[in-house]
Amino acid sequence: MAEAHPAAPVGREFNPWPVVIFIVLVCLAVLFLAPTAGVLLSSVKTTREIALGDLWSFPTRLYLGNFVEVLNKPAVHQYLINTLLVTVPATAASIGLGVLAGYVFAKLPFRGSEALFLVIVAGMFFPPQVILIPLYRLFNAVGLIDTLYPVILIHIAMGMPICTLLMRNFFATVPNALREAAILEGASEWQVLTRVALPLSLPALAVLATLQFTWIWNDFLWPLIFTQSDDKRTIMLGIVNLKGQYLVAWGIQGALSLVASLPTLIVFLFFQRYFIKGMTMGAVKG
Amino acid sequence: MERETGVWRLVFLALPLGVFTVLVIWPLASSFYYSFTNWNGFSDNFEFVGFLNFKKLWTDKLFFNAAVNTAIWMVAAVLIPTLLGLGLALLIDSRIPGGSVFKSIFYFPICLSAVVVGQIWIWIYQPDWGLLNVAIGAVTNTSPDFAWLAKPDTALGSVIAAWCWQHTGLAMVIYLAGLTSIPEDLLEVCEIEGASTWQRLRVVIIPLLTPATVVVVALNVINSLKGFEILYIMTGGGPFNSSDTLAMHMYNESFKKYLMGYGSAISVVLFIVALTIIGIYFRELKKVDEIYG
Repeated sequence: MAEAHPAAPVGREFNPWPVVIFIVLVCLAVLFLAPTAGVLLSSVKTTREIALGDLWSFPTRLYLGNFVEVLNKPAVHQYLINTLLVTVPATAASIGLGVLAGYVFAKLPFRGSEALFLVIVAGMFFPPQVILIPLYRLFNAVGLIDTLYPVILIHIAMGMPICTLLMRNFFATVPNALREAAILEGASEWQVLTRVALPLSLPALAVLATLQFTWIWNDFLWPLIFTQSDDKRTIMLGIVNLKGQYLVAWGIQGALSLVASLPTLIVFLFFQRYFIKGMTMGAVKG
Repeated sequence: MERETGVWRLVFLALPLGVFTVLVIWPLASSFYYSFTNWNGFSDNFEFVGFLNFKKLWTDKLFFNAAVNTAIWMVAAVLIPTLLGLGLALLIDSRIPGGSVFKSIFYFPICLSAVVVGQIWIWIYQPDWGLLNVAIGAVTNTSPDFAWLAKPDTALGSVIAAWCWQHTGLAMVIYLAGLTSIPEDLLEVCEIEGASTWQRLRVVIIPLLTPATVVVVALNVINSLKGFEILYIMTGGGPFNSSDTLAMHMYNESFKKYLMGYGSAISVVLFIVALTIIGIYFRELKKVDEIYG
């Protein structure tokens, strides 16, 4: 039979590469997930089980005591509330400022606006340590150390560069004719921004909300510097604080890490698309 | 009309520029000022000491050590996630089933905080039941109890591994986005001309990914320069300063020893390093724009 079809190339019938690549990717994925699996596994085991060297095996039964302990702790409630009190206003305000500045840079450029824009965007690149000491002195002088205000204010300022960059790029895609038509109809610049440009920018706002929420929720440095008493700490500092208290209570540490990561994990699951868009913007520019 | 536009500019920019000036620009400028003083962090009185803090940098062995560690940290934290990310992107882009699931798996660590990533990896390196020792034990049939984070030889490398785990996904998604912009017909030509996979990669794909590479490298450089939190969590710069970086050293001198003047001098150095890198980045970006724009 084979001789009857001498033209049919034998090699074409089975290409092993997709299978090989798939297996390689599965192995890598398992390796990548192993660290996280450890936390998940620890959170449903008793301290005794873990101490006996049994962290990495599958649990025979689900032990939820760690979660009960973590969720019933008043300190944890306070940490979570503080984190929300920082994250929500700082996310909203940094996006608000980015919208205002981005609109001017995109639609109302003036002499020197390009340079000003670059200065603001450059703020994105600097290690925060560079401005740590003067900010500490500033907030010390106005008596705001050990409150949440410095953390909120700094996140607004540090988030502004990325918000300005993204909003300016997005507003640039809104046709100028739309703005001019609205102005001719007697709309003010503020009305153009809020009634014309912003409703068109929901995708960009979603990208920024996702990014800013995650970064601010996860932040550790600013609350470390500016808060001292336990009832002012955010959840990420809370994890480190409670570590001393639960030195060998690995399961409780695992449950706490999971609870602290849940909001950002949920945001990631639902808004992954926006997340990736925000991170990759500019990577494929023509 | 034009005058009205001017008023709106002012109204719109007042708040953003005010916040940015007070909380970013002004502190940046004062960092330079404090680096010439001996301020201790709480006292109202401090003196102008000229270049004393910068002279001290020259003789501070711990500063030198931190600078070397920062260089090692940055090279590794840029190269490894970039190469791994490129590899993963190429594998996932080859139209295997479940591509988007793999993408999410490799990408999700980026949404975890430094504290949680540090916590996860402390457990991996735990001497008695950490995954690394358990795995090595299973392969070699021994029961090692090596304390990876407590040994000067392995501390920095161990933290770098944790860092790479978190940041590889970022490089991967940027490369994946870059790969979608490579014209399909170009790859078809390769096939028709009988180019090998390696030739196609070296001559067509990687050069066309240059814009993505510039972004990946820049993001990795910026992030690694800021990489303080995970070191703080995992080793605190120890043991014996073996994983101390400039950012870590600056924190210790300023907020542990309260030598804020000296700490400012270190942050000025950090600023100059960042500025140099940003300068190079913008120049490269312009070049890329000229070639591919």
